[in-house]
Amino acid sequence: MSSIPTPDALATELKEDAADTRPVILIANRGEIAVRIIAAAKRIGASPVLAASVIDADSPAARMADRVVVIGASPAGASYLRPEQVAQAAVNVGAAAVHPGYGFLSEQPHLAELLAEEGIAFVGPRPETLRAVGDKGSARKVAIAANVPVAAGVEIDDVDDVQALVALGNGIGYPLLIKAIHGGGGRGIRLVENSEQLAVLVPQAAAEALGAFGNGALYLERYYGSARHVEVQVFGDGEGGVQIFGDRDCSVQRRHQKLIEECPAPGLTDVRRKILHDASRALVIALKYRGAGTVEFLVDTLSDDVVFLEVNARIQVEHPVTEEAFGVDLVAAQLRLALGLDPELPDVPPVPPATVIELRLNAEDPNEDFRPNSGDITAVSWPRGPGIRVDTQIEAGYRFPLYYDSLMAKLIVRAHNRDAAVAAIASAAANTRIEGIKTTLPMHHFVLAHPDFIRGQVPTSWFAPVWENHSNGATS
Amino acid sequence: MSADTNPSWQDLLDLVTQLNDSNYESASVQFGNVSVRLSNVAGFQDGGAAVSAPVAALAALAAPVAAAPVGIAVTPLAAAPVAAPAAVVPVGDRIDAPMIGVFYRRPSPGAPAFIEPGDHVEADTTIGIIEIMKLMNPITAGKAGVITVFLAEDAAAVEFGQGLAMITVDAS
Repeated sequence: MSSIPTPDALATELKEDAADTRPVILIANRGEIAVRIIAAAKRIGASPVLAASVIDADSPAARMADRVVVIGASPAGASYLRPEQVAQAAVNVGAAAVHPGYGFLSEQPHLAELLAEEGIAFVGPRPETLRAVGDKGSARKVAIAANVPVAAGVEIDDVDDVQALVALGNGIGYPLLIKAIHGGGGRGIRLVENSEQLAVLVPQAAAEALGAFGNGALYLERYYGSARHVEVQVFGDGEGGVQIFGDRDCSVQRRHQKLIEECPAPGLTDVRRKILHDASRALVIALKYRGAGTVEFLVDTLSDDVVFLEVNARIQVEHPVTEEAFGVDLVAAQLRLALGLDPELPDVPPVPPATVIELRLNAEDPNEDFRPNSGDITAVSWPRGPGIRVDTQIEAGYRFPLYYDSLMAKLIVRAHNRDAAVAAIASAAANTRIEGIKTTLPMHHFVLAHPDFIRGQVPTSWFAPVWENHSNGATS
Repeated sequence: MSADTNPSWQDLLDLVTQLNDSNYESASVQFGNVSVRLSNVAGFQDGGAAVSAPVAALAALAAPVAAAPVGIAVTPLAAAPVAAPAAVVPVGDRIDAPMIGVFYRRPSPGAPAFIEPGDHVEADTTIGIIEIMKLMNPITAGKAGVITVFLAEDAAAVEFGQGLAMITVDAS
């Protein structure tokens, strides 16, 4: 196993091209994030090696990497979701570190542990951190212990005790959410309107949670029906040191999937922003968090409440808006930290000097209920101009595979304030052309021209009814 | 079988047989003080047509799942050391690595190889082992015939789909 080089040694190596002693970074992911990590690895003078499935072995990301190692068959369950196969690939290529990207194995403690046994760095938090924030119950406990505001909630002792359930429900008020304590992401959540529904849905939810998460424990939580999704970008040194890189608003969502993100979150008062940033800082310090992470909150539009949602212990899809707003490279910082180097991140003010907006372009047909599609991309043309960034792996001739998620590209635009950024992203979207398969671009044209979005501060419940009205109008 | 006794080989085979038809990715079973780890890797043989349940769930958006190209030979982009037997022109069918790992031609260091070139094998004859994260996976010939050449060296790192050996299949 190669030892981790010191900064000086690394610098020396960069000058000498002869012997390739660059640390090897294995990228255990695909698509645009694989491209992004490969670029960061090159930027810091490391050698990127891609762990790919069969179908991705000749992808644009594969061609950018120094080397490709095929870890398994095309379905993610036979390749990208297999910790043993990824860890073995890391051993075979002599990796110093493995970057898991987002999704797949990025928050799986098992991969981190397998790598630790081999003396290979996992680019992410420690396994115990992944466990502590990996399920809703323990994340909530960690948050409460760090004085982070959480939604009023209570654990259920007996799912069949109707009287006790009704009392718990009345204590919180309706509507409320049933959540699986061991659930994660958007899974294991049910909305309840009244006590009759509660008595029926709780035993069902317990049975489902038992099946899905191996544990049927549930809790009830207050539901915020008109809240914004605001999240804080953090970077921890692993020893209790923390840097905050502002906030992002990701409230334009469809079925809990983010469509558009921006930095900074618009219209936050200084007081609210301070609550969000201070709570995130306290949480990261309490966890001795290592590397890049995101603390997600709901910011209520009907009250002054701000409540903790969850910690995403990885780089996120929407990290570019933060990078562009503050002029930092979060992925390079992750890699440097994992290699034992200074992440080289500056201290930044709470609000960046620019506004950045990102659109996610998905291979889905917005006029057919967002049905995913795959196939040959025949032509691609990206907008050009100041402040425009495109994170993607698609190109003309690329066959978009059906095995994985539908993200094709992220279009990111920076401008001096929000009005200018909204105008700039609308113009950039209008000058984007992808032919061969249907994309969500038409949906973006609609949202970017909508007065509510232009005004800003829409809640997460905004998109669904507005889009439905639009679609009905379009077809009738 | 008693929980206090160690399993016999037959116990383990029974376990594998039992689990063979069920959907799981990995299983860990404790027999007394022996712990057994099993991993069920989907789509080994056909590169993805036979997907396991968890895979099917992921791919459900786009059913039916198209079969991936079968037995693609993928060569690392950078100049990886090419296996030695360049002088031999490989003939017959290629036996591919069904998983990433380290390929061993012998059961333990110094022991005779399972198979030497020129040996006749049956479909279920073990021609080597692939180790993945300390898990030893016997690799069988898959077809009856004569192994003509090994494409992967003993103790070589191999990728999914990489050629291990060539076999001249028996005329039927």
